[in-house]
Amino acid sequence: MTGNASSPTVLTPREITLHLLGLVLFLGLLGLWYWLSTGARAVPTLIEMLQDDDPSTRIVAAEQLGQVGPAAQAALPQLLAQATGDGSQHANTTAAAALKSIDLKAARQVMTHFMPRLQDHDAQQRRTACAVLGSLGPVAKPAVPTLLPLAHDSDELVRRNALIALASIGIPSPPVMTALLEGLRDSSALVRQTAATQFAFTVPLTQPAIAALTPLLNDPDRSIATLARSALDKARPDDAAQLESLGMMVQHSAARDYALHQLAQFGPAAGDALLPVLPLLQDDRPLVRYLAAEALGAMGPAAKQALPLLQRQRQDPDPVVREAVADAIAGIEAAMVPAESSDKAARP
Amino acid sequence: MIATTPETSSRLRVLTRLGFWGHAIGGLLLPWAIMLAVEVVVHQVPLARAWRSFTLHLFAPGYNFFLIGLLTAVPFVIFAVLILLHLGAAPAQDPLIPRRRALGLAGAGLGMLVLAGWTHLEVLLHPDAQGALAYLYLPVILLASMPIGYGSGRVIARILLPKASA
Repeated sequence: MTGNASSPTVLTPREITLHLLGLVLFLGLLGLWYWLSTGARAVPTLIEMLQDDDPSTRIVAAEQLGQVGPAAQAALPQLLAQATGDGSQHANTTAAAALKSIDLKAARQVMTHFMPRLQDHDAQQRRTACAVLGSLGPVAKPAVPTLLPLAHDSDELVRRNALIALASIGIPSPPVMTALLEGLRDSSALVRQTAATQFAFTVPLTQPAIAALTPLLNDPDRSIATLARSALDKARPDDAAQLESLGMMVQHSAARDYALHQLAQFGPAAGDALLPVLPLLQDDRPLVRYLAAEALGAMGPAAKQALPLLQRQRQDPDPVVREAVADAIAGIEAAMVPAESSDKAARP
Repeated sequence: MIATTPETSSRLRVLTRLGFWGHAIGGLLLPWAIMLAVEVVVHQVPLARAWRSFTLHLFAPGYNFFLIGLLTAVPFVIFAVLILLHLGAAPAQDPLIPRRRALGLAGAGLGMLVLAGWTHLEVLLHPDAQGALAYLYLPVILLASMPIGYGSGRVIARILLPKASA
């Protein structure tokens, strides 16, 4: 840069402008770096990282691919291999968690791979199977019946992992709740603590849960008592403000999955949140469409208004979503029959 | 008014350029340098491994070191522009004005560096579930500290560089 010693100011106006332009260029380069390193553009690099010898690299790559979502389809074979064949449990769970955001069918393949391992003689195999199924979240709903007996496994860590997995799957809510309530009475403090943690942070609070958690406030283990307090202090599904807040959360992409999952576990109590859920049946992400169908199905007769939309979604490109839609329609129609007959009986 | 010598003027020009680019780039690099230093010095991780882990987590969800750097850099970039416009546009004929301005800006810059460095160190040395909130508040705090640091620098400048009596 050419300086001018006779300039009336320390830097000439031209120099100041050039420096500012340099700064804009620098910021532009940073933006370009970010753009190239995130989203679908990063997928080829992330696929390469999945082949790395270092497990932490494979884990981070899987997490990032999950963030990319359906645009990371190209990584499906590598992610499937990592979810089912990697020697590191953390690498298995992160790959499985990524798959549920990218392709539901692939996530179900992982579920099918691990379900027989729930009956393995080796406790470590059962622990890993529980952990991976849990990382699939609500997509692993068909695994719940096979997971339930593991909540009574002879191995303490298997019981703990089974409860975490059941709470992460969350649906159908009644058997999951029963298993977690039994977990609160487990002989092992670790398992009781795990069950209390799920009520405090993951699953909605039901009346039987309130009854079971209240005595735990006096548990000699202070951590269990604190978790029971946190669980009892949180908002209940019948709280109108809680429903309103979840209704708002489904409209924000960052909280959408969580809010829909919660509503799917609320059951008929979630009926007031119907309207914000309806448009999500046509969302770009299969996971969101799946969760929306599950939430509507759980609402029962309150989701009657959703039936025409659900009928249209019978043609969803994703088979797992189609299955959830069919279940939701069947569930709503079945729940409507007794409701309608009781209406007719009440009429004079 | 005392006329500026070419040497003084040249030094001020270098100082302005260095201050501008130093803060614009340093604001971005500061949190990253602290992260690496904590890994190497406190957690005794070899530099090569620390560097690999750092680059791996630059854009990783839940870590986003890149965004942490960017958030910290925002007030420093604003400060760099202030250096350019305030010191770069100072009249060169009277050395007292740019020198006093330089001391004011040095006070602000030093205050920002100390605050940002201390915050990043605290977050890394005492991890906490809510620790990441510090990264969100830090740019606001740094911006608020700017006029305070500048004012302090100007007060020091008044003491160290008194106006020559007529």
